[in-house]
Amino acid sequence: MTIQTSDLSAVMQPVATAKGLPNAHYVDPHAFDEERKSVLFANWSGVGFAKDVPNEGDAKPVNFLGVPLLILRDHDGAVRVYQNTCRHRGMILIDKPGNIRGTIRCPYHSWCYSLDGRLRSTPHVGGPGQNIHPEIKRNELGLIEIRSYVWLDVVYVNISGQAADFNVVHAELVDRWAEFDKPLFHSGADSSFTLDVNCNWKLAVENYCESYHLPWVHPGLNSYSRLEDHYNIQENGRYSGQGTLVYRQLKGDDGIVFPDFSNLTDTWDTGAEYITVFPNVLLGVHRDHTFAIVLEPKEQGKTQEHVEIYYASEHSLEEKFADIRAKNSTQWKEVFKEDIFVVEGMQKGRNGPFFDGGKFSPAMDGPTHVFHEWVAQSLSAGRQLAAE
Amino acid sequence: MGGAIPVGRPPTGRRVSSLNDALLAAHQAKDSETLVRLYRAAGQDALSKNEVQGCFYLTHAYVFALEAGLPEASELHATLKSLGRES
Repeated sequence: MTIQTSDLSAVMQPVATAKGLPNAHYVDPHAFDEERKSVLFANWSGVGFAKDVPNEGDAKPVNFLGVPLLILRDHDGAVRVYQNTCRHRGMILIDKPGNIRGTIRCPYHSWCYSLDGRLRSTPHVGGPGQNIHPEIKRNELGLIEIRSYVWLDVVYVNISGQAADFNVVHAELVDRWAEFDKPLFHSGADSSFTLDVNCNWKLAVENYCESYHLPWVHPGLNSYSRLEDHYNIQENGRYSGQGTLVYRQLKGDDGIVFPDFSNLTDTWDTGAEYITVFPNVLLGVHRDHTFAIVLEPKEQGKTQEHVEIYYASEHSLEEKFADIRAKNSTQWKEVFKEDIFVVEGMQKGRNGPFFDGGKFSPAMDGPTHVFHEWVAQSLSAGRQLAAE
Repeated sequence: MGGAIPVGRPPTGRRVSSLNDALLAAHQAKDSETLVRLYRAAGQDALSKNEVQGCFYLTHAYVFALEAGLPEASELHATLKSLGRES
């Protein structure tokens, strides 16, 4: 069966004349499948957080767009990602988070794998009590490791294995935020929440990237964070987002504030930035905390947002900061929840057959256009590969 | 599902029953240390009479020792390797 692919030519025009991605990319399961492969698997997508596997042997299974993954911390303290599938009969190896004391044992026939992925044991593979067989070459049957990279605690994977290295693809962004590339501190459940949203994953990105909506959707910000205090961040083909010049530190009732990152330049005294690491990770940095949102696309009209808040200093995890941490989480959760009606509204709107992708404001919608153009480029690259 | 694994004639009588009960309880409790101890003892016991059966049990002891990161794994591996049953 031939699937009709969308026309992306209008998306790749300059912002003044471009249109947004066609409706199909929000409501059509075939377009969702295409993005799964050409956008989310072909690039570096966020799938989890290193803080969820803090200790040697900690392992967390993750299902990313149907692909079973296992995030674990190995004996050297490095985070690795494996396909969570036994090389024997394809059984899922680990079905819930836990700590692996020795090896990963497949629950089906007990093939065992080391944390470094090596196949260590193949019990009875040559008959009862005979654990070797000439055709079972263990050195060829280790766990399939998925390319992964951890930046600002987010675990990224490149499932296709074909993307350039993460720190090459995102070199400019990593450099831009080098001042925040330091140990981050997470306080647990009070800094972690999940939102289920009835929209395509891209709408969450698009809304996050631009400040145009802030005065209308987040009127609470108007008192101190006016539209003119924000700037667009738009790096074609790389990343986009928005920044503010008037970030104001949260204060507790007793005037307490979170400690800052060490050695920050003055820019960050009142500056904060909110950038999407294409395709699906939304990051925010401030002098005293960061946050990361991993968008988990569930289907074309459903997305789960995994939100984690991190602090600049270990001291911020102390009990005396508990109230202000809760306040910070509540504040962010309110902001993110205020966005739900617009992303869900845009999702519904894309069922309108005469919507043409939309007309961008050249002044205000640049970051969104950069994202659309990047998606369109990824889709085009995927189509070209398929045609070869 | 499937037929029983032909591991040779099993030990008979009350001793087997109590071993089976203990193994089932340890499996139920996911008690790796006990599983290793019981399978290892069963394996060593059977080895001189029936190598296949002995190695069957020792293999189980080895697998559970590996899974749990127990030190017995090294010795069990060495035994199985010496019998040509591990690499």
